[in-house]
Amino acid sequence: MNKYRLYKLVSQNADLKMKRHPMLDKNRFMKFLMAFMWLYYAAILLFMGVVMAIGMKHSYNGVAAFHVFDGGLIYLLITDFWLRFGLQETPAQNAQPYALLPIRRSFLMHLYLTRSGFAWGNLFWFFLLVPFGLISIAMTLGWGAFFGWLFGWWLLLVANGFFYLFCRALCLKHLAWLLLPAAIHGALLAIMLVPEKNVLDMPCTILMYDFLQWKLLPFLFVGGLIAFLYWANYRLQIGMVYDEVGKKEEREIKHATQFNFLNRYGKLGEYFKLEIKQRMRNKTVRMSFFVGLGFMIMLSAISYFTPAYDGGFMRSFICLYNYIVLGMMTLVTIMCYEGNYIDGLMSRRESILQLLQAKYYFNVLLLIIPPIILLPLMIIGKMSVWMNVGYFFFTAGVLYPLLFQMAVYNNNTLPMNQKITSKQGNTAQQIFSMVILFLPIGVEKAATALLGDPWGYVFLALLGIAGIATHQYWLRNVYRRFMVRRYKNMEGFRASRNS
Amino acid sequence: MEIIIKDLKKTFGEKVAVDIAELTIHSGELLGLLGNNGAGKSTLFRLILDLIKADTGTVRMVGLQPTGNVDINVAETEVWKDWTGAFVDESFLIDYLTPDEYFQFIARLTDTSDEQLQEFMAQYQHFMADELAGQKKLIRTLSAGNKQKVGIMAAMLLRPQVLILDEPFNFLDPSSQNAIKHLLKKYNEETGATILVSSHNLQHTVDISNRIVLLEHGKVIQDIDNKEKQAQTILENYFEIDD
Repeated sequence: MNKYRLYKLVSQNADLKMKRHPMLDKNRFMKFLMAFMWLYYAAILLFMGVVMAIGMKHSYNGVAAFHVFDGGLIYLLITDFWLRFGLQETPAQNAQPYALLPIRRSFLMHLYLTRSGFAWGNLFWFFLLVPFGLISIAMTLGWGAFFGWLFGWWLLLVANGFFYLFCRALCLKHLAWLLLPAAIHGALLAIMLVPEKNVLDMPCTILMYDFLQWKLLPFLFVGGLIAFLYWANYRLQIGMVYDEVGKKEEREIKHATQFNFLNRYGKLGEYFKLEIKQRMRNKTVRMSFFVGLGFMIMLSAISYFTPAYDGGFMRSFICLYNYIVLGMMTLVTIMCYEGNYIDGLMSRRESILQLLQAKYYFNVLLLIIPPIILLPLMIIGKMSVWMNVGYFFFTAGVLYPLLFQMAVYNNNTLPMNQKITSKQGNTAQQIFSMVILFLPIGVEKAATALLGDPWGYVFLALLGIAGIATHQYWLRNVYRRFMVRRYKNMEGFRASRNS
Repeated sequence: MEIIIKDLKKTFGEKVAVDIAELTIHSGELLGLLGNNGAGKSTLFRLILDLIKADTGTVRMVGLQPTGNVDINVAETEVWKDWTGAFVDESFLIDYLTPDEYFQFIARLTDTSDEQLQEFMAQYQHFMADELAGQKKLIRTLSAGNKQKVGIMAAMLLRPQVLILDEPFNFLDPSSQNAIKHLLKKYNEETGATILVSSHNLQHTVDISNRIVLLEHGKVIQDIDNKEKQAQTILENYFEIDD
C-alpha cells in the first residue's frame, strides 16, 4: 500500500473513532447536545468578535482595535492550551493500535503530527478572530492585511497545539511535568499582571502587526518555532508508542490499609471502605480530589492575602466553591466510575442503595475540610461564620441531593486509573456542574436580600437540615429510579467501558 | 432451585441473540451450555442474571428457601441475588482491591463470618496456588487467569444455590482447569446447587455436566442427557471435530 493510501486509511480510522464513540453512537440526545454546545460556543465567539471589534474601536483613543486585541495574545494562547487537555490525545496514544502492524512508526508519527497541525480544532478560535478581523482590519486596512493577520494567528495556534502535545506526552510519563506549562504560563501571567505596566502587550502587538503587513521575519520565526516543536514532539513521542503499548501498573501496592474500624458498620462500612480505596488507588479519582483541594486552598489564600475577591459575589462564590467542589468532582459523574464493575454490583441485593448511602456519608464527612480552610478568612472577618454555617448545611442537604439525581441518569463509564484522561464527563454533566456552581449563589442572594444577614443564612441552613433529615428517603428514591432505568444504564456503562 | 425460562427473547437490532420458548433447569442439575461464538450463551446468562432486559418472556426461580417456597421473576425482585453466585467477565470485579480485600468485601455482603471465610480460603488454597491469598497486588494487575480465579471464587463464596459461570476454563492453566472441574462437581454433589456453565471446551463440559444444552443463533437446538457421558459423540458431530 502506498503512503498516500495508508494516510487516507489511518485518517479515516481516526475520524471514525470520534464519530463512533459509544456515547454518541447510541445516544441521540448526546449527539444533539454536542452539536448544540458546539454551535453555542461558536455563536458566543462570533458575538464576542463583533462586540469587541466595535467596543474597542471607541474605547481606546487613537489606538486601533486590533492593536488592543493583539495585546491579549498570550491570554488567548494560555486559554487555548488548557482547553485542549479535555479534547486532544497525543499521537503516541493514537498510534497504539498500529504498533504491531507493518507500518513504520516514523510514518505514523509524521501522519498524526501533521493531522494535529492541520486539525480543525486549531481553527475554532476563528469564530472570534474572523468577525473581529473583518470589522477592525479588513474594513480599514484591506483584505491583504486581514489575511496576513489571520494567517499569523493560525500559525501561533498551531505552535501552541504542538507545545500542548509535547507537554501532554511528558505528562503521560509523569504527571509532575504538568508543572512545566504551569510554570511557564504562571511566569508569563506574573510578568503581565504584577508590574503596573504590562511589558508583554507591546511585543505581542508588534508581532501581530508584522503579520498583518506580511513581513517575512515573524512568519519565519513562528514557522521555525513550529518546526522545532514538531521535531521535539516527533523525538519524544516515537519512543512512547511502545511505552503506551507495554505500560503496566506497579505490580504491588506498598500498604494495603484495611480500615478495620469501619467493620462495625456492616455492609455500609464495606461500601464506605470502597469509597476511600477508590480515591486512594485510582489516579484519575485521586487527581480530581487533589486538584479540587488545591483550588480551594489557592482561592482562599488569594482572598486572605489580597483584596482581589473582596466583592460580595466573589466572597459567596469562594465559600460555595469550598463546600461543593470536592463533592461535585465525583458526584456529577456519580456511578460513572462504578460503571467499570457495575455487573458485579448489580448481582448483589440492594448494593446500589448501600453504595449511594456510603457515598453520601463520605461526602458529608468531606465537608469538615472547607471550614478548616476558610477559618483564617472567618477570623480576619472577610467571611462570616453564618455564611459558612449556611453553605455547610445547604451543601449537605440541598446540593448533594441534587447531585445524587445524576445517579439515575449517568450511564457513561469513566476510566479510573489514567494519569490524564480525555473522558472527563459528558456535556450534560459539565452543564450540571455549572448550574451547581452558580445557582446556589442566586438562592443565597435572594435569601439574604429578603431576610437579611444572618437570617438568610439560617434559612439556607434550615433547608439543608431538612435535606439531611430526609436523606434515607431521597436516597431510596434515587435508588428506586435507578433500578427502573437499570437496563438502559447498564447498556450505556457496558458500551462506554473500554472505549 | 429450579430455573424456568419461558418465551425468552432478546434481539440486538436485527440479530436474534436469544429465542427460547421453554427451558427448565432442574434443581441440582449441572448444566453445560455449548454453542459457537455468537450462539447467545453469555446473553442468556445475562438475561438470567437480570443484567439486560428481555424483549419478551420471563426467567423464574422456583424452590425452597428458609422462608418457605419461592416462585419469583428475576426481573421483578432482587431476592434471588441472596442465593445466586455468578461470574461472567471482569465487570464483576472491583479491580482496585486486592484479592483478599475483594473476598472479604463479598463475605461481608453475604453475611459470611471471618471464620467461614478462612475455611473457604483454606479449601481453595490449592486452586489459588500462592498467587492470590496474602498478596499485595491489586486485581487489575493480576494475569487474566488469576482474575478468572478471583471471579470464580467470589461467585462460590456465598455457597450459592444457583451458580452461573461463563467460560470458567478460559485463561486457566491445565492444572487449574482440572481443579475447577473437580471443585464444581464436588460442590454440585455436596450442596445440590443448580450450576450453569458455558464453555468452548467440549471435553471439560462433557466431564462435569449431567445435562448439556446446545445453542445456535439463540435457540436451543439440542437438549442432551449426559448422565452417562453420552453427549461426546453428538457434540463432536455437531462441532465437526475429526479424530
